[in-house]
Amino acid sequence: MQQDDRTRVAPIDKAEALITGQGRYLYCVADRGEQVSLGPIGIDGSNVYTIPYRDICAVVHECLAEPYNSTDREVVNSWVLAHQKVVDEAWERWGTVLPLGFDTIVMDKDEVGAEENVRNWLQSDYDNLKSKMGKVRGKAEYGVQIFWELQVIAQNLAKTSPEISQLEEEIKSQSRGVAYLYKQKLENALKRELESKADQCFRDFYERIRRHVVSIVVEKTKQGDQNTQMIMNLSCLLSRDKSAELGEELENINSIEGFSVRFTGPWPPYSFVGT
Amino acid sequence: MEPTRDTHYTLVDLLDRVLDKGVVLYADVIVSVAGIPLIGVNLRAALAGMETMLSYGVMQEWDQKVRAERSEIGKQGELALAAGEQLRLKIFGSHYYSEGIYSAWRQGYVYVTDRRIALYQPGFGGTLFETPLEAINGLAIQRDNHSLTDSQRENLCLSLSKGDVALLHALDIYKLREAIEDGMSALGLTTREIPAPPMLNQSAARFLAEGEQVIYRGKMWHMMELPVPGAKTMDTWSPGHLYITNKRLCWWHDFEQKVLFEVPLGGITAVAVEVRQLGSMLKKDRVLDVVYETELGRRVACFSGDELLQWEKALKEIIAKQGVVTSGQNMDTCPQCGEEAPVGELLERGCSRCGWVSPRLKKQAPEIAIS
Repeated sequence: MQQDDRTRVAPIDKAEALITGQGRYLYCVADRGEQVSLGPIGIDGSNVYTIPYRDICAVVHECLAEPYNSTDREVVNSWVLAHQKVVDEAWERWGTVLPLGFDTIVMDKDEVGAEENVRNWLQSDYDNLKSKMGKVRGKAEYGVQIFWELQVIAQNLAKTSPEISQLEEEIKSQSRGVAYLYKQKLENALKRELESKADQCFRDFYERIRRHVVSIVVEKTKQGDQNTQMIMNLSCLLSRDKSAELGEELENINSIEGFSVRFTGPWPPYSFVGT
Repeated sequence: MEPTRDTHYTLVDLLDRVLDKGVVLYADVIVSVAGIPLIGVNLRAALAGMETMLSYGVMQEWDQKVRAERSEIGKQGELALAAGEQLRLKIFGSHYYSEGIYSAWRQGYVYVTDRRIALYQPGFGGTLFETPLEAINGLAIQRDNHSLTDSQRENLCLSLSKGDVALLHALDIYKLREAIEDGMSALGLTTREIPAPPMLNQSAARFLAEGEQVIYRGKMWHMMELPVPGAKTMDTWSPGHLYITNKRLCWWHDFEQKVLFEVPLGGITAVAVEVRQLGSMLKKDRVLDVVYETELGRRVACFSGDELLQWEKALKEIIAKQGVVTSGQNMDTCPQCGEEAPVGELLERGCSRCGWVSPRLKKQAPEIAIS
């Protein structure tokens, strides 16, 4: 009987001793086994500090084991910017970081505290994390997005494509009904030409960019406005000191009539530390 | 060209990276951002595409929830029962739906619960017919003898409050009636056998003369001559119902809701079915030509629809009977060769042309031989 009582009481005591529902929000893993405080620079002014394991550390703040959530786009933007600010700070301080995505929170579980769980993760994933650090050490990520002005490109195509110029010539001599059909034919021909042109541009630009970077991730292109279309969206990994070189190449593309380039960065290597 | 980090566009670029990328932590100690239909997630969806997120496992819970919802929708093959509602019978059947000129048997599952009867069509249809058991005043089994093909079909007639009548058909009509009656008696309601209403298109009742009975009926297209400005007429096929009564052949026009063609049975002189072009828009199909006599001379009425050969046969029998009536004898056709002969002669002696003998006569023959 006595034994039974004791076994029943024990877990409750333990549970009371542990502060449950606690979490650690993860910003990044840095290339130094240091335990420091970075001050109240985190999301919503949280105190950011490091949890070290061997020669690496996790940059975290203390929070509830609940995700950050908002329906307000502005709020989310401010959180994302705060997240980025902390990663930047760590990046500047320690040189190499593995950034985590927004809202990665480690919680306590089965009587193991959140902080302990972060350390356990660093331990169990140590080799993988170290090898990723080796890959991105001394490098930064740059975003390259190439756009074209649809009208300008289409006009140039009409001049150079024999099929299109012939159709345009024929359309003039047709009655209104037939001209309508011709117009559709013309539109289809133009669409085909544009697609093959985009394909050709992609290959050409990709080759030109590839020479200046270590690694490329091809991202999905995004909807532009009606006239300006994104034809390429790349994430590039390269040494910071090579960015001027890449910039020159992009300037060449930017100066082609009808094309424009958006060059962003340097970013922590978000696109090169995933799976 | 210098890379930049501080314009409006770079915020989008940053959001892409921070929301959708970075080190992925595969551990069960991670607070998931799952199941949150809020902007964080929406933003991710818009920027990254679902697959990425799902492959990262970030939205696993959300995914499961959505899948569960989807499978709920998939399960809507069943009528939703109210809390505590007991299902007594579920049987494949149909309900006769009639609205304006449209009428059809709509198929689905007939559900009889302890409270109601419903016809439920899985998929898009949903609940097509429903009535509480309390609303039923009486039941009747109705035999549809007028259709040419399934003349033995039986329907369950429900007399409802406000004088409405619902027609149901089921694989086992008696089982359906039993379930309804059981359900009603469990509610303390008495069931009453009502006289079976005649199986008619509602319209038929409006034009039948006293003592006139429908023998056959069916949906039928009729070629009408429409007057066209300028001398000529134009032929148009119109939808309606063709009836053979004990007095006449008549066609009810569905649009105008009246009889537009009629001829006394005695006026019909010949029928024929042939395949021909049905106007310029339609494909070739069978057409039933009914030749009849009027004061103005011989006329032909054209019909198109299902079961034309059966109609032809039925009309030929009528024509044959007309002749018999005048000669005072009942005529029938030999089931083997089709030769027309008086009924009595066929049954008692067999067919004079092909030698067919009725089975009843065959059966009797040995007995006669023994005695």
